Amino acid sequence: MAYSDKVIDHYENPRNVGSMPKDDVNVGTGLVGAPECGDVMKLQVKVNPLTGIIDDAKFKTFGCGSAIASSSLATEWLKGKTVDEALAIKNTDIVAELSLPPVKIHCSVLAEDAIKAAIGDYKKKQAAEGKTAEKVAQPTA
Amino acid sequence: MTSSVPTLQVCRDCGGGAPVDVHFCPQCEKILSLSRHGDYFAFMGLPHRLNIEAAELERRFRALSRQFHPDFFYNATTAERRASLERSSYLNDAYRTLRDPVTRLQYILQIEGLAPQGPAEASRQAPPALLEEVFALNEELDEVRDARTAGAADDVWRGRLDRARQPIETKRVAHEAQLQELSARWDTLADRPAADAERRAVLQALGERFLERNYINNLLAGIERELTQ
Ligand code: FES
Repeated sequence: MAYSDKVIDHYENPRNVGSMPKDDVNVGTGLVGAPECGDVMKLQVKVNPLTGIIDDAKFKTFGCGSAIASSSLATEWLKGKTVDEALAIKNTDIVAELSLPPVKIHCSVLAEDAIKAAIGDYKKKQAAEGKTAEKVAQPTA
Repeated sequence: MTSSVPTLQVCRDCGGGAPVDVHFCPQCEKILSLSRHGDYFAFMGLPHRLNIEAAELERRFRALSRQFHPDFFYNATTAERRASLERSSYLNDAYRTLRDPVTRLQYILQIEGLAPQGPAEASRQAPPALLEEVFALNEELDEVRDARTAGAADDVWRGRLDRARQPIETKRVAHEAQLQELSARWDTLADRPAADAERRAVLQALGERFLERNYINNLLAGIERELTQ
């Protein structure tokens, strides 16, 4: 099976590889895996608290070329989007952009799952943050 | 569940009825076309067990292959010749699937409705702690690779790999033991009704172990690969 030029490009020059501090309340982290192959992917977003826009995105993937390309592309797409726009990214968009063959669809699913997990983590942190702020403001019994 | 599974087939030759898991018409003795059939286990006359003796499976496979062998149907009608081919090829699929304990487990999960059937369900996740561990060990492998290419002494990077392998190897052994224990329990429960709570719980646990195994094996294979450098 031949990889498309776009997959090869992302694979050879992956964008936004790296990580951001997990404990930062403005950072959401998603760690997901594909049980059928055992590959794992970590994707992080950093949201600007003033604008609600994703300022930065990073990933690290231990997996096949398509999984690396899918997550690399995902981080490019995430930057500049709002959290809700980010949730609208579908694995089929990634499949189309990278011309992934059917056997590699699960690699793109992994990227979509990672986005959802990262945003979910971010929202959870924000909610927890809101609660502690409330508690500090008006301590209850 | 069981009510939707067909239990009877009809002989196209004499019109007689036969249970789905027989291969020859009880009335006219002609080979039955493969229109309605049971699952791989039923086809080979086996209960839904995870522990199957290899010799027993092979014996059944050989006996049935002989019965279905297209050579015996050389002079038979077109329908019978087709039936012998259909049964031979289904038998091969059944044997190939049931022979390997891993595909056998996967098949049980599938016929019990627990295996991922499409990309949406494929995203069922292993426990976060396992993913964290696998991710961390993969990072360590990356670092060891970098150290090696940067010219670190042999025993230094080999030592690091060995240390990385130990916890995951321990996990593999524990995982293997759990699988065996669960498989043995499953075999005692398999005949209970599908809604039985204990049966469902064991099946669920088997499904979870199954989700985890590729992570563990993939990682161990990666460590082995590095060690042979
Ligand atoms: S083969 Fe598993 S993520 Fe691509």
